[in-house]
Amino acid sequence: MVQNKLVNHAGCIFPLPHWMMEQTCAHTFYSAKQQIKRRSYLIPNNQLIHCPWRRGHLCTEMDDQGCPRCKTTKYRNPSLKLMVNVCGHTLCENCVEMLFVRGSGNCVQCDTPLRKSNFRVQLFEDPTVDKEVEIRKKVLKIYNKRDFDFPSLREYNDYLEQVEDIVYNLTNNIDVENTKLRMEQYQRENRDLIQKNKATLTREQEELEELLLQEQQGNEQRRLEVLQEEQRQLQAKRKSKQALLDELEQSQLPATILLAQHKVRAAQLETQIEQQKQAVKPTNLFSTGIHMRQTVSLLPVAKIEEVLYHYKPLQVETYGPPVPELEQLGRLGYLNHVRAAMPQDTAGGYTSALACHRAVQDAFSGLFPSKG
Amino acid sequence: MFHNSSQRKYWIFKSEDEVEHMRCKANHKFRNKILESGKPGVSESMFLERHEEDVLFRHYERRLLDFCNAFKPAMPKSVVGTAIMYFRRFYLNNSIMEYHPRIIMLTCAYLSCKVDEFNVSSTQFVGNLLQESPAGQERVLEQILEYELLLIQQLNFHLVVHNPYRPMEGLLIDLKTRYPTLESPESLRKSADDFLTQATMTDAGLLFPPSQIALTAVLNSASRAGLSMESYLTECMGLREDKETLSKMYDSMRRMKTLLKKYELPKSEEVNPYKQRLERIHAEFATSSNKRKRGYEEDGHVAKEPRLAEEEWTDEDLL
Repeated sequence: MVQNKLVNHAGCIFPLPHWMMEQTCAHTFYSAKQQIKRRSYLIPNNQLIHCPWRRGHLCTEMDDQGCPRCKTTKYRNPSLKLMVNVCGHTLCENCVEMLFVRGSGNCVQCDTPLRKSNFRVQLFEDPTVDKEVEIRKKVLKIYNKRDFDFPSLREYNDYLEQVEDIVYNLTNNIDVENTKLRMEQYQRENRDLIQKNKATLTREQEELEELLLQEQQGNEQRRLEVLQEEQRQLQAKRKSKQALLDELEQSQLPATILLAQHKVRAAQLETQIEQQKQAVKPTNLFSTGIHMRQTVSLLPVAKIEEVLYHYKPLQVETYGPPVPELEQLGRLGYLNHVRAAMPQDTAGGYTSALACHRAVQDAFSGLFPSKG
Repeated sequence: MFHNSSQRKYWIFKSEDEVEHMRCKANHKFRNKILESGKPGVSESMFLERHEEDVLFRHYERRLLDFCNAFKPAMPKSVVGTAIMYFRRFYLNNSIMEYHPRIIMLTCAYLSCKVDEFNVSSTQFVGNLLQESPAGQERVLEQILEYELLLIQQLNFHLVVHNPYRPMEGLLIDLKTRYPTLESPESLRKSADDFLTQATMTDAGLLFPPSQIALTAVLNSASRAGLSMESYLTECMGLREDKETLSKMYDSMRRMKTLLKKYELPKSEEVNPYKQRLERIHAEFATSSNKRKRGYEEDGHVAKEPRLAEEEWTDEDLL
């Protein structure tokens, strides 16, 4: 089964959309056709091939996952476990056992010297993603600056971009030597800052872990309490049952009366348990984690002295006689001389006063010649 | 509203002389430009004099009015007024020798339809050029669109024009409400309307606020009917004490009336020779003016398809 997949430079895998199929395949064909003819073998072993037309745009066709050495596939052996090492090439668990008996050896595909202990279970469908994750971890150990280490967002973004470039280069074996040199140089230049950030990071990590631990302990304690409570109840019930049996054995009273007495006692016990359950234990913590009865500073907030806003009515110079107010038009009789608004006009909020007011405003605006 | 509009701020001028001066300057600017370009065979006598320009301007303005009045669907008055005002404002700073009024007038009408919310599609608009073939209409439309941005720029993006029509309605309402001495204000409407139509064809819109024009129209109409409305000004407008303003208002009304009286439609035997010269000038300097009007597109703001060569269509096509 041939699956068409697209992998972007961040390692995310997309199924190749149907409309891109032809184009992408055409690109791959272009790069590989000299050597290999058959399409299904176009790119064996999940290798990625760089699209020659657009750098960074990866074209790949992935066979069903399988070990490149023994050719077993997941399809044939569902329990197959694939392993990846730093170079990003896969081997199945059995082959790893066989080839790396002595603890170290070379990669079957790229001849990189590898250690057996560095083999990891392949988590992603695409082994390069595993490789990238590994590389990213390493790179981020060195490039551990955070946004407030930079004066501007722009520089922080440039820095992130640089990190991405390095990861990309290392993952795809582009210019590895230079990239490594660059990393070393960076490490030398920023040794202090790296150390400092590492320390803060670990401190933060510790704090987090402590918090988690506390929470866990709290949970455990609560669980134990509930358990104890249940046990106590059970015991009480058992005791009362036993008492009933004893009484039935020894007492002179008729059994019906004893049973009735027991029923009353049992009911009492039930209500007691219920009450206990309902009685919420008094806590001395609010849900926000603030202690109750903690003294909170009740000093008034410092008062800010400001000049109060004083409203001044807007004065508009119209260069003409005063115009009657919109609300006054009806009273002054203006509305008797304009067409009344139709019912359908009023739906939109129109009134005849609006049109009338506008006309009168326009008639008076700028009517008097300017003085001087 | 008018009192804080761009019209009051930038497009009302102090006197007739100032307006005339601006037009002279535009005329000189064009002459100098051509003379400086050093084209062979250019002589001063080729150009149109200022008064000759004015004749042609009034001729084309009349054509614009006729075009608007014959427009289907019927154009509201304010659209027509706005179009004519655009036309006047445009040729305050530009010479008709530089931009042919034939196309500018159509562009003005087209733009005012848009601005005054008189909704016609562009094809519907050029469909009113009855003498043109559909292909010809298409060409005209292309030219209109080409000049539209130039027009807007030359209007300095002040697109709202306050016409005197609504102020007149307001005045009539006010008269009916506050001035019962006047028995039938509606009877004044007819001749006041005529007054406003005439006023659009003059510089009144560039010299006076629209409310003053409307008031003058109403007062003029009343005095024709033999009625005196002085008490309206003194009582209702509150000008009894303010003699200075009152006299100034009378003064500007007088100026407006003279302006209207002075107006005359140019005769065709006067127009025709000038028109021929105008065509010659445009034929002669077409390339240079072409380059100019595209100058504003060089910034890359406006990228339109290269247009067809400017076709020769004559004025007779318009109506």
